[in-house]
Order: sequence, then C-alpha cells, then structure tokens
Amino acid sequence: MSHTVLQAKNISWTVEQLTIIQNIDFSINAGETVAIVGPNGAGKTSLLKCLYGEHRDYSGQISIKGKSLQQISPKQVAKKIAVVSQHAESVFNLSALDIVSMGLIPHKGLFDTTTTADHIKIDQALNKVDLFNKKNQSFNTLSGGEQQRVLIARAIVQSPDLLIMDEPTNHLDIYYQHQILQLAKKLKITLLLTIHDLNLAAQYCDRIVLIADGRLYADDIPTVVFNEKLLSKIFKLDCHVDKNPFTQAPRITFSGNTFSGDSTNKQAINIGHVESMSND
Amino acid sequence: MTKLSTKSTLVILFSLVILTMLLSMGFGVAELGHDAVWQCIHSSCEKPIYDTILWQIRFPRILLGFLAGFGLAVAGALMQNVTRNPLADPYLFGIIAGAGLGATLSTFLPANLQFFSLPLAAFFGALFAVFIVIVVVVRNNWRKTEHLLLAGVAVNFLFSSATSFILYMGDAFSSNRVIFWLMGSLARADQTALMWIFPVVLIVTIAALLLGRQLDALLLSDDSARTLGVHVEKLRITVLVLCAALTAVIVSFCGGIGFVGLMIPHIVRRFVGLTTARLLIATGLVGGCFLIWVDVLARTSLSGQEIPIGVITSAIGSIFFLLIMRKM
Repeated sequence: MSHTVLQAKNISWTVEQLTIIQNIDFSINAGETVAIVGPNGAGKTSLLKCLYGEHRDYSGQISIKGKSLQQISPKQVAKKIAVVSQHAESVFNLSALDIVSMGLIPHKGLFDTTTTADHIKIDQALNKVDLFNKKNQSFNTLSGGEQQRVLIARAIVQSPDLLIMDEPTNHLDIYYQHQILQLAKKLKITLLLTIHDLNLAAQYCDRIVLIADGRLYADDIPTVVFNEKLLSKIFKLDCHVDKNPFTQAPRITFSGNTFSGDSTNKQAINIGHVESMSND
Repeated sequence: MTKLSTKSTLVILFSLVILTMLLSMGFGVAELGHDAVWQCIHSSCEKPIYDTILWQIRFPRILLGFLAGFGLAVAGALMQNVTRNPLADPYLFGIIAGAGLGATLSTFLPANLQFFSLPLAAFFGALFAVFIVIVVVVRNNWRKTEHLLLAGVAVNFLFSSATSFILYMGDAFSSNRVIFWLMGSLARADQTALMWIFPVVLIVTIAALLLGRQLDALLLSDDSARTLGVHVEKLRITVLVLCAALTAVIVSFCGGIGFVGLMIPHIVRRFVGLTTARLLIATGLVGGCFLIWVDVLARTSLSGQEIPIGVITSAIGSIFFLLIMRKM
C-alpha cells in the first residue's frame, strides 16, 4: 500500500495581483520520483517554493505526511523536506564539508552539540555521493556536478521524507545529468524535481506533472503525459514521440517548427515574466 | 590554506592571550619593566607604588583593551557572516557616528553630570543609529543585504554631519573633550567600565555561539538557510541588535575604535575556517590581543603623550582594507 508523502489541494499563488499558479492538485506517494515539467514561466519554481514553504501565502492546502505545511514551523518543514536548489554560490570560501554539515541544522536545538554519530552521518553522506576525498575542498572550486552532489549529501544528512530538486541538471553536461539523476534515484527517497529535459524526465521519473501558464495540464505516467498532441500544444513546437531504444521510455523529439495547431495563450509569457521577477 | 584543528587553535590562542597580557604589563610610562612586573606576579612588588601601577592602572587597562578588542572583533565577525559581506564592520552601520552624536549632545548637560552622561548618551546614540538602519531595511523587506550596508553608510554621514555642526557651534572645551573621546582611548579603564563591558561581551558571545548553527546556514544564501528551517529575517535582526549593544557599550567607554571588526575576522577566517563557533572564539581572542598591543603602541611610541588608539587602528585598518580590495 502506498502512503501519501505530499498532498497539494487546489493550490493558487498570486503576486502583485497576478496569478502565477492556479488551482493545482496533485500528490506524491512514498518512494515515487515525480517530475514537474513545463515551458519557461509555467510556474514550476513558484509551485516548488509553495511546496517547500518558501512561499507561505498561497491559497489551498499543502500537507506533508498528513500535516498542514502552514501549521508547522519552518524547522519542522526542514526536517521533512530537503531542497537542492538551482544556484548555489558561496561568497565565503565554504568547504564541501561545511555545506554538508548544514544538513544537521534542522535537527539541532540551541544547546545541542555535534556528536560522533553526526560526524559518521556526514562522512557516510559524503561517501554516498563519492566526495569524501574532496570534503575539505572549497565548494566554489568544485565542478557543477560535484556541487550538486555536495548539496545532495547535505540533503542526505537532513534525512527528509521528501527531496525536492529544482532544475538539478541545469548547466551540467550529459554525463553529469545522468549521474545526478541516477544518484538521486539510488537514495531510494521520495523525489520531486523540476526539469527541462523531457527525455531525462521520461527515463528517470515514475510520474510527470505537466504545467503551463500556472495550470495543471496532466498528471500521469510518462507514457501517458508525453503524447505528441499535448506536448506540441504546451511547448508550441511540432514534436514526435517514439521509444528510447535503450530504456524503452518515451523519447521526445521536437522539430523546431512552431506548432500550427491550438497554441497556449499569451498569458503564459506574461506570467513567465512576473515569475522571473519574483525569483530575483 | 590548511585549517588548524580546534584543539591546537585553542592552545595557540590561549597561550597568545596569556603571553600578551604578561608581556604588555611591562610597558608603560612609569619605569616598571618586565623584571619588576615578573617579581610582582611571582612574589611581591619591590615598591608599593609598583603594586598600584600594575594592578590599579595597567592591568584594568589591559583587561579593558582585551574585552574591547574581543567584543569589536566578535561584532565584526557576526556582521560579516550575517550580511555575507567580508568587508562589513560595525563602523559601517553608523554605530560610531550614533555614539558620537550622543556624546556630543551630552555636552549640553551641566559640567558635573558630563562624566557620567557621556558614555550613557553615546550608548543610546549608537543604538538609535542601528535602529534607523534596521527600520529602513525592514521596510525594504531585506531585499538585498547590500541595502543594510548602504543604509548604514547614509546614517553614518547624517549623524557625523550633525555632530560636526554641533561641535562647530558649541563651546570649545566641551567640543575638545568629545573630539578626543571620538578618537578612542582606553584611559577610561576602571571598574565601572569593566563591569559594564564584561557582561555584555559575555552575554553577546554566548548568544552568538548558541545561534552559531543558524548563522552557518546563512553563509550560503538566504534561500538555502530558509530551506534548512532558519527564520532569516528574525535571525538577522537579532544578530544586528546583539552587535549594536556590544559595539555601543564598548564605544561608550572607549570611544571610536575602528577597523578591528573588519581586520581581525578577515585574518582569522583564513586559519580557523568559517564555522561560526570556531570563528567567534578565535576572532575574539585575537582581537583582544591585537587591541592590547595597539594600546601599548599608543602609550609608548611618543614620549610624554599618548596617541589616540582609534588613530592607530584606523591607520592600520585602512591600509589593510586597501590591500584586501587590491586582492578582490
């Protein structure tokens, strides 16, 4: 029997009288890997920020393991949800170890010290992401893929019920894109991520949540969501879907020609502009 | 650079503190050299006057120098971590200018009250300056930590201009007293100063150590800290208020001593790393030793007169600042 880890009911989020997310419903079950996909400005990052409590002024109901997100403290949220965000650059010369150790923060009170068990936990997390030998290296001097792995190790130390990753494969080459997603899957943790590469989403995710102009268009397994008609409509490009010969997952190819059928309205572009402003 | 272990850092720093205190007691205008000091500590003083000089003049001054240096360095380290700006310093938040205006306004009080009212007025002036800075950035929703620094610089100039105007228009004797006080000095070292500064330094340091983990979370980014359950705005205000209280109490007794909070954390961070708890302890101890030696320099470099300590720290600090900027 599957247990619901996160449930979002009728979520809307408005900023300066512009609706960024409208009436979104979906849930994630324990052990699932779910991708939120959609064009730029669809509201993916805003939705994620509502889900991990960064935006607390949404309407609707979000619950994590049955507890309403708005009724628990940010510290309680951090014990249940870990986030690997898009950009991480340290002004100071933080080491990989400094950053991984931050995963302990939600679990420690003012008077708690770092125990031997904590040190073991940190070392194990660094080993899991294969960065133990680089633990004292400056975070800023690590490659993009290694920085992502450091943040994943921090999330491992955080021991959450749900790991949220915002565009984890951005700026990574094809090798690291697969490496990061394989690593995340190997953790056997409930995973929610936003991703632009639909083929990666098809290959690694159990379920796809497709959103555009702040609304939910589909929520199902990759073979159902990734159909030519829907993708052409959402991404406004002609597309072809067949099977990846290695994995048998859907393989999506866009022609580059603008889709001539029923395109999404211009509101998506306007909303996208506002969302990028709110992310500044 | 290789970071030192916690144990070796503590051993080195506590040795440095003890050595600094012992050696610095042998410097001063009076002819009481290291041998005589050692004899006083080891057995008893050769002359009764040595006992008075050592324990009632030099030692309180060394203790005040240590506490002031410790406090200013800790405030600087906290400001730098909380704003993620390695060039942040309590000076940049208008604290000294606020204290200066408070001290200047105290010159309007009757002469017999001025000795007591100057530190008190300086304290409230410093707190008022920080209050304005915090109100401005809170109203601005903390959009950027740079705004905090810019608001501080603006308040600094505003208060400095008000001080200059009052001093220009005021009575020459009172103005001179305030100007000398603004240049910084440890000459006010007495039990009252120590009794005020010690508890504040202790309480702020303990509070900052307890908040250490949350401050560590801020080092990467505000968003990252929030995902770790840290209430960023509340933490930032708490730390600013702690720094304001700490700096204000030091400035009210010692006057304007700048750049300690900028230089010391910057140097110490290279050796002990960024973790708040380690950084605060090491920064405080090094800052304390630094100010003791600067005071020795202030007392002994010119015969027959004392150089204001703030003049020396500002000279060293501004050169240091320029060197950092060159490397950035």
